[in-house]
Amino acid sequence: MIHVNGLTKYFGDYAAIQDVSFDVPKGTVVGFLGPNGAGKSTTMRILAGYLTATTGSATIDGYDVFWNPLEARRRIGYLPENCPLYPEMRVEEYLYFRAGLKGLSHAQSRTRVGFGLERCWLTDVRRQLIGTLSKGYRQRVGLADALLADPPVLILDEPTAGLDPAQIRETRKLIRELGDQHTILLSTHILPEVEMTCDSVILIHQGRVAHSSTLAAIRQHSQGRSLEDLFVHITGTEV
Amino acid sequence: MMRASWSLFRREFLAYFLSPIAYVVLTVFLVVTGHLFYLTLELLTARGHRGTEWPMQVMLGDERFWLVFLFIPPLLTMRLLAEERHTGTLEMLMTAPIRDWQIVLSKYLACLAFYGLLWLPTLVYVPILVDLDWQTGKARIDPWPVLTSYIGVLGAGAMFLALGLFVSSLVRSQLVAALVSLVLSLLLIVAGFWRPELDSASFTYQLIHFFSVPLHFSRDFTRGQIDTRNLVLYATATLFFLFLTVRSLESRRWR
Repeated sequence: MIHVNGLTKYFGDYAAIQDVSFDVPKGTVVGFLGPNGAGKSTTMRILAGYLTATTGSATIDGYDVFWNPLEARRRIGYLPENCPLYPEMRVEEYLYFRAGLKGLSHAQSRTRVGFGLERCWLTDVRRQLIGTLSKGYRQRVGLADALLADPPVLILDEPTAGLDPAQIRETRKLIRELGDQHTILLSTHILPEVEMTCDSVILIHQGRVAHSSTLAAIRQHSQGRSLEDLFVHITGTEV
Repeated sequence: MMRASWSLFRREFLAYFLSPIAYVVLTVFLVVTGHLFYLTLELLTARGHRGTEWPMQVMLGDERFWLVFLFIPPLLTMRLLAEERHTGTLEMLMTAPIRDWQIVLSKYLACLAFYGLLWLPTLVYVPILVDLDWQTGKARIDPWPVLTSYIGVLGAGAMFLALGLFVSSLVRSQLVAALVSLVLSLLLIVAGFWRPELDSASFTYQLIHFFSVPLHFSRDFTRGQIDTRNLVLYATATLFFLFLTVRSLESRRWR
């Protein structure tokens, strides 16, 4: 579903990612791991079409994100890091605006916004100004937005960052449920989260893919070693 | 595709009413045009040798109007792209299935629509400025200067707004965006206030006349003349700045 081939991105002389290649098969939930500054967000931004890669290519459902950007973006629900939203708009109003932006008709918008509000537990706050919402609720608005056009692919950049434990649990549960119908690429720092929600992991370190396999394979090979041990072993940082 | 542009246009236009700046601009603008209208009325009804030949020229022809006008386009455009970059919402916008030029055009049309709205209340002055006879519906003062003035105001506004939008796409801070576009518009406006002793046939004079917007108004639009050179300047400058804005937005993806 997501196919990435030799992706490289330079910011000036600095290579944020170098020769990153991986595949995300349809219907899987893939955890995108790595220390801060490893290039997770950069890769996701390229996939979502916000940045253009220096070299390499990426396709979503067969559509190249550079040559066929609109078709590719139509198939992605993207939740950026920190989830930027317009504080002066109301939740429902914002979702209707985003639905229109994604080309949904009025009738479609109504059903999809209703679905998003319910699915992300936003019904109580639908008339509230986004600026007055807590971080957890904003994250849910972002998630509801990502689900609006019912895209086959979800790209979620740290969906649980800054949430309290109860919210993290809710979000994880939601992601696991969404995994049944969507292909999901999600980045996170929290390793137990990956073990709970993902089918496989891609570990990225210093802009390169350092490890990539299914969780089942890791469990089988490592014999009692946890994902955390693997992470520390590869990135060379002791906790 | 139309749906996406319309949705963005609607949001941008309505966003003006959610910020206090729009109301401040509206109020100040109405106070100033109202005062100028009062002065015009005084001259139109004056006895003796005082009076005016061109009522619109009193309203739009000199510093009184242009020094206030100067601030309006920068205040309307400063937010458009600078704020989106500052808060990061640009990322949400640029990853939506919408083309960069659609983003620019929707935002531009939204600020142009608000600018149009700004002028809408001034239409109530028109019956008096043309001395409309309510019985016959005929104007007793030549109505063309009013029409051409509105055409000029729309054209010049379109140019200044496009300039402001472009500046807004370059910076992160709204304040910087407003100041830079203010300075740039000043170049086009202040040239008209500088009246050196020049032969009006000389090249320098022609050049100043070509660029200074207040002169276009005091000499042409408010007198019922349409000089195509002025309109061509406005149209090409508008297209040029919109083109640069699209490019500037696109280049964000590369950096």
